[in-house]
Amino acid sequence: MRLLASLALQNLGRRKARSFLLVAAVAVASGVVFTGATLMRSIDRSMAVGFTRLGADLMVVPEGALTNITAALLVVEPTDLVLDRDAFAKARLAGIARAAPQKIVRVEHSGVGSHHESADLIGFDPALDFTIRPWLVEKLNRGMRPGDVILGAGRAAPLGSELLIFGKPHLVYGRLGRAGVGTHERGVFMSFDTLEALAPSVHGHGGGPPPVLQKGNVSGFLVELAPGATPLQARFAILSTLKGVKVVAGDSTLSGIRQGLEALLDGILALMVLMFASTALMVCVLFSAIVAERRGELGLLKAIGARRGQIVGMMVTEAVLATGFGGALGVVLGVLVMRLYERSLVHYLEKLGVPFLWLDLPRMAAAAVGAVVLACLIGALGALYPAWRASRRDPYDLVRGEG
Amino acid sequence: MLQCRGLCKRYVTERGTVAAVDGIDLDVATGRYAAIIGRSGSGKSSLMAMIGGLSRPTDGRVIVDGTDIWSLAEDELAAFRNGHIGFVFQFASLLPTLRLADNVALPAMLGRRGAPSEIYARAARLLGQMGLGDRLDAYPSEVSAGEQRRAVIARALINEPAIVLADEPTSDLDEQTEIEIMDELLAVNRERGTTLILVTHNLALAEQAEQIVHIARGAVVA
Repeated sequence: MRLLASLALQNLGRRKARSFLLVAAVAVASGVVFTGATLMRSIDRSMAVGFTRLGADLMVVPEGALTNITAALLVVEPTDLVLDRDAFAKARLAGIARAAPQKIVRVEHSGVGSHHESADLIGFDPALDFTIRPWLVEKLNRGMRPGDVILGAGRAAPLGSELLIFGKPHLVYGRLGRAGVGTHERGVFMSFDTLEALAPSVHGHGGGPPPVLQKGNVSGFLVELAPGATPLQARFAILSTLKGVKVVAGDSTLSGIRQGLEALLDGILALMVLMFASTALMVCVLFSAIVAERRGELGLLKAIGARRGQIVGMMVTEAVLATGFGGALGVVLGVLVMRLYERSLVHYLEKLGVPFLWLDLPRMAAAAVGAVVLACLIGALGALYPAWRASRRDPYDLVRGEG
Repeated sequence: MLQCRGLCKRYVTERGTVAAVDGIDLDVATGRYAAIIGRSGSGKSSLMAMIGGLSRPTDGRVIVDGTDIWSLAEDELAAFRNGHIGFVFQFASLLPTLRLADNVALPAMLGRRGAPSEIYARAARLLGQMGLGDRLDAYPSEVSAGEQRRAVIARALINEPAIVLADEPTSDLDEQTEIEIMDELLAVNRERGTTLILVTHNLALAEQAEQIVHIARGAVVA
């Protein structure tokens, strides 16, 4: 009812200092929730891209295979030794978050590059990959299809152009950024099926196709550890389960940073939940005091015919108006804080070449709406119980200032 | 017709149970002016609160025009108060953040008794009858105590109730204003045929009543 809503609004104006403090407290809480949620999601996205770009935590290859370990990137080197493509799926090892199988074969006279240049053809499973596609700097605006290839940064060909490999046409689907690792730079990446289809044209040491191009064989696995797992634990689990493999560890500092950041984000989430709960509690206490102070007025409203729902509705409306306004103010404050963050830390990270990916606008708008809705919810929940209790009292008790 | 049967109100205190109203039977005919008199603490305000549906009796019944009001569900009782009973309290009972017109219109708005424009027209007419036609937009703090009390009477009449309950309506007013307010209340009783029940400890005010109920220690003594 408009008159009760207007009464609720005017009641807020009656105690300006108290209303201001309530709005300020909710603004801080919802600002923290909005900024926290946005930054967390942004950091999460940046981590997803940034850390996967930094490669896997471990690499599992056949015993005797060559490996190329750089400070930040594990890369399988071409070899005739192979592993079972489903080895990890069958083993279900503890401490392993993801394992991406790869096939790699080094070929000459493939038609890629100059006549005598060798090229690394790398097959991967798009459904399991987490080390190649994060490097995509440009790609066609559709999903990857059979016959599509992704070129390493060292190979120049326009997107969508045709590339002949052993005389067979392939479409350039995407291009990777510079990684500074030969295999990545020179490589031509494609799905397992696309690579296996080239088998008749590729000759290994025995004259026939190399074993890695047979279905079910892979050159190795790139492995990401589960949160909390250490490389040592994972290495032990892998070696005790899979036979004839070698486990190569990357830079453990990076795994540590990633796991640490994940724990930090969990901690921030817990703090946000606590802040939400404590603000709801504070609103509840404040509205208990407001209800106690206005018992006479509520009693009067009941005496002249206000129903319980109208009393509760008025108090909840009053709280929602204040906390909703606080929530909107918090979003504005959050945007200002993030602008500041962008000008300082994000700018610094980007100067260092560390990508920081903000949430896209629709999701950021959804987070803003979510923060305001959450603030309204805090108000509604905080005021509901005291209002409900007051609405149960006899009007005469309220008018006399009892209860 | 208002009937009270065996009406009791007991309060539990640290020193034991206290009976504020102790088994009162009372009949007030429709359109009558009745005065409930007694000393402070005699139980007259508690009796009025039970009659008005404001305070649940510990025992007994209140029957207004055949309806046992305390057998009604809570929202039904709220609707009953809204439509059948007008209150004039012993304190300034206007909401300070609403204008006089809003205060007077409030019971009708709460009970959804007509379109807002109709309700406000009725509120303006009532305030005009109370001599406050030029103060519709004034806030309670901007008018005198007597004017506030007149606005309260207008609010009590907005839903054309069968009964007006006035609990010490002039206790904080000067003598002249007291006379004016009582004149307004008596006019309501005589001109509209509204049952008026006045609670007072002022015997002079009670002298004009058609029925006087004297309460002492929670019981009717005369």
